This record gives sequence, C-alpha cells and structure tokens, in this order.
Amino acid sequence: MIWEAPRITETTGYVQYQALYKPRNLCIFWDMPNAITLEKITRSFRNHFWQKNREVLKGISLNIQEGEVFGFLGPNGAGKTTTIKIITGLIRPDSGRATIFDLHPNSLAAKRRIGFLPESPYFYEHLTGYEFIKIHAMLSGPNEDKEAVMRLIEKVGLGDARDVQLRSYSRGMLQRIGIAQALVGSPDLLILDEPLTGLDPIGRKDIKDLILEEKNKGTTIFFSSHILPDAEAVCDRVGIIIEGQMREVGRLNDVLKKDIETDAISLEDWFVRHAKKHE
Amino acid sequence: MKRIRAIFENTFKESLRQRILVLLIVFTLLIIIVSVFLEPFALGEASKIMRDFGLAAASIFAILTTIIIGSALIHKDVEKRTLYTVLVKPVRRSEIVIGKFLGLGALVAILVLAMLLIHQIVLIVYEGRFDLHLLVAFPFTVLEVSVILGILLLFSSFSSVTLTSIMGAIFFVVGHAMPDLKLFADTTEVAALKHIAYGFYYILPNLENFNYRTDLAYGIPLQTDGILFSVSYGVIYTILLLYLTTIIFETREFK
Repeated sequence: MIWEAPRITETTGYVQYQALYKPRNLCIFWDMPNAITLEKITRSFRNHFWQKNREVLKGISLNIQEGEVFGFLGPNGAGKTTTIKIITGLIRPDSGRATIFDLHPNSLAAKRRIGFLPESPYFYEHLTGYEFIKIHAMLSGPNEDKEAVMRLIEKVGLGDARDVQLRSYSRGMLQRIGIAQALVGSPDLLILDEPLTGLDPIGRKDIKDLILEEKNKGTTIFFSSHILPDAEAVCDRVGIIIEGQMREVGRLNDVLKKDIETDAISLEDWFVRHAKKHE
Repeated sequence: MKRIRAIFENTFKESLRQRILVLLIVFTLLIIIVSVFLEPFALGEASKIMRDFGLAAASIFAILTTIIIGSALIHKDVEKRTLYTVLVKPVRRSEIVIGKFLGLGALVAILVLAMLLIHQIVLIVYEGRFDLHLLVAFPFTVLEVSVILGILLLFSSFSSVTLTSIMGAIFFVVGHAMPDLKLFADTTEVAALKHIAYGFYYILPNLENFNYRTDLAYGIPLQTDGILFSVSYGVIYTILLLYLTTIIFETREFK
C-alpha cells in the first residue's frame, strides 16, 4: 500500500487522505468521493430533422472514484465518445445527471480539475508546440510560467520539436502534445479518449508510461481504448459499454471471466461474443 | 483577462499565418500604387482621386480580410475539433467570443493602419507632402470592421462558413445602402412598406455612419457631433452583436 501526502481539495477545503493502489490491480478505496458520477444518462441524436432519433446512450450509470484508473472499453459506435463529451460538458444529456467531483461538468470549478485529450485530436496547426502549450497554460490558470510549459514539453519527449509548427508533427507527436496540454495545470482528473490509437509500439509505451506516472501521483484517469493489453497494463477497473449500455464494470479479469487466452486477444471478438450473449 | 489574452493571441497568430492574407495585402498595395497612374484620366482631380482611391482600397481590404477570415473563425474550430481542448479548460464561452473578436480585429486594424501609412508614402513620392488628415479614416474603418466582424461571429456561432460569409457580404452591401432605404421609407406612400423600411433601417447596421472617406479626400471638415454619434453607434452595435453571439454560443453543443 502506498500512501500519498494529504491533499487539501480546492472546492471543499477538506483534508483528503488517499489510499492508492498497489500491488498492481489490487485497489482499495475507503469512502473516497467520486471523481465522476453518471446517473441514468440518456442521449439521442439525429442528423436531420426528418430522420428518427438514434438513441446512443440508454441510461448509463457509473461511478469513478478519486485516484482510480478506469478503462472505458467498447466497440466503435458503442457510445464511448458521447459519454466522454457529456462528462466534459461538450454536450448535455437528454436525461440523467453527470457530475465531476460533485460539480456540474460545465462549471469553471470542475474544469479547473480536468485535463482532456479528445479522440484523434486536431490542434491549431499554425502554432508551434511551445505556443500551443503556452496558450493552454494561460487558459488553465495563473501558475503556468515558461519553465512549467517547457517542463511539460520535455516530459512528453518533444523538447527538440517545441519550436516546430504542429502542422509538421507526426500522429504520435500530436498525441504527445495532446497529452501535454491535458496535463497543464496538474489536473486531478485526466480524461483521455483513445489515447493509444494510431501509435507505434514505442509511442504506445511512452503514453502508457505517462499514464502510469500520473496514476502513481494519484491522478484519477478515465480513458477509452480498444486494446485489452493496454487496458490491463494501466487500469484498476474497466467498464464495458455496448450499444449505449454498460454491460460490465469491474476488474478486467473478472469482467472478461477468464476469456483471455492470450495477451493478443481482440477486444472486438470479446464484444461480439458478449453482445450475442446479451441478445 | 489572461484567458481572453490567450484566445486573442491564438486568433491573431492564426489569422496572421493565413496565406490568403498575403494575396490581399499585395492586391491592396497594387491598387494604392496604381492610383498614381490615373492622372491622365482625372481631369485635374488627380490629387483627390488618389486620396479617395487609397482610402477606399484600405477599407475594401479591411472588409475582405474580415469576411474571408472572420467567417471561418468559430466554425473552423468546431469543424476541426480544435476548440474541444479549449472548451474543456476553465474558460467562459464569452471569453472565447471576445478573444476571437479582438484577435482578428486587432490584426485587421494594424494592417489597415499599415496600408494608410503606405498610402502616405505614395503621396510623398507623388506630391512631396504628407496628408495626415487622411489618417482620421482609420478609427472609422476599424469601427466598420468591428460591426461586420460582430455579424460574422453571430452567424458563425450557429451556421456554416458559406452562409456566414454570404451574410457578411450582404450586410456590408445593405449597410451602405441605408441612406437609400431611408429615402425610400420617407417617400413611399404605402404605409406597410413604410413601416417595414423604417424597421429595417433602425435594426440593420448603417455602415454609412462610418463613411467619411469622401469628406476626408476633399478636405471637408468633420462635425464633432457626427463623429461622436458614429463612435457610439459602432461601439454599442458591436457590443450588442457580441452579446447575442455569446448567448447562442453558450447554448451550443459540440457533437
């Protein structure tokens, strides 16, 4: 068991003791407040007014505790990104309630505590890496000076490319600078939408290491992924969403009920089997 | 304030690094320089035509730059999803609107001032003297740009780039036709048309309030009360447009 120094929360002022994980995947939380709470969230979309509403989320409920690393897994079109957009306040639920640290997702107090990496991120191409992080630091708060910006860029391994415009960055470099902007302001909650997609093995390892580093600091991490071994490597718990409904929530091995025969098992295969089971 | 500055800096740099800007600058400079060669056709009015030409070129440059870059200002960010990371930071949507307005507005203002100064250099070369009186056109061009930019931000907060740029152009043309609309409203015999015409006259932006180019080119002195009215009109109209834009932008979702 590893104990972190007591932290005084920004919103309540209460001293908070966090018991973190260790050994790996054995996580114990004592009466920890929720970092994310979703209660019976529904959300529908239609592209044109003459089309029928398509229900993307069908009453999702989920609690993510502080200090937890949660893998949000599901096939394409399952509703992962829609859920993340509701958590980050980019869209509103049709019904149900979403909170971050008991705050409304769109409140400034909640946003001060979040770092967010969108799926397949597109950033301002005309900016250099340094300018991009500096602007996000200016948006985040008063304590992000030049040194802090440089440290973040170094941390994601882009020190040599800090003065290069983002239009010249590779996919992996964009993902790294995206992680850096999410880390600006040392957020209490990191929300990462498919952070490992499209990266080469070295890039994936680097990002996983970064997630683990944040995990060790006690940051709550909510990330979506398609890849089982990735989720297994970093998550305390996972949730499986299929067709807009939470099918399972728990430790990865418990959720998969020992279906894993090799590390390379395709999550898509598991989804297909699992979806058929629920039909 | 720091957050507005961040959006301001980003918008300023983004707009400055657009390739279309170079084309517009070169085009405007050519027009200013070409005005020198109009002397044979000017029937003794070459000096005044040069002044009018220079001021008109700077004004058209300002409006074209504002419409071309401004119509995509919010929409492009939403379409490319570049705004997502900004929206999730502790920033109010009103701060995004104001930052974007100031960013492009400042860039256009600096470039218009540069154009007017270049026009002064052309006057020195041609006539051997400055005419600093012409620089009075600068604040009025900026006010006109502010109103047009406000309209573009309003439309870009809920519609497409194409519709926004078309509306920007329509408002520019209609805004300069306001005296004609007023004349029509004054003279029409049909009561319903009169009410409609007056309604549009009072609601739509009257961009002629900022047009002092002819007076300046011909050396006609400007009236203080007219200047005060123009400035108040431009500032209040722009604030109202930005307020409306913020209200719409606040309710917008980012699917």
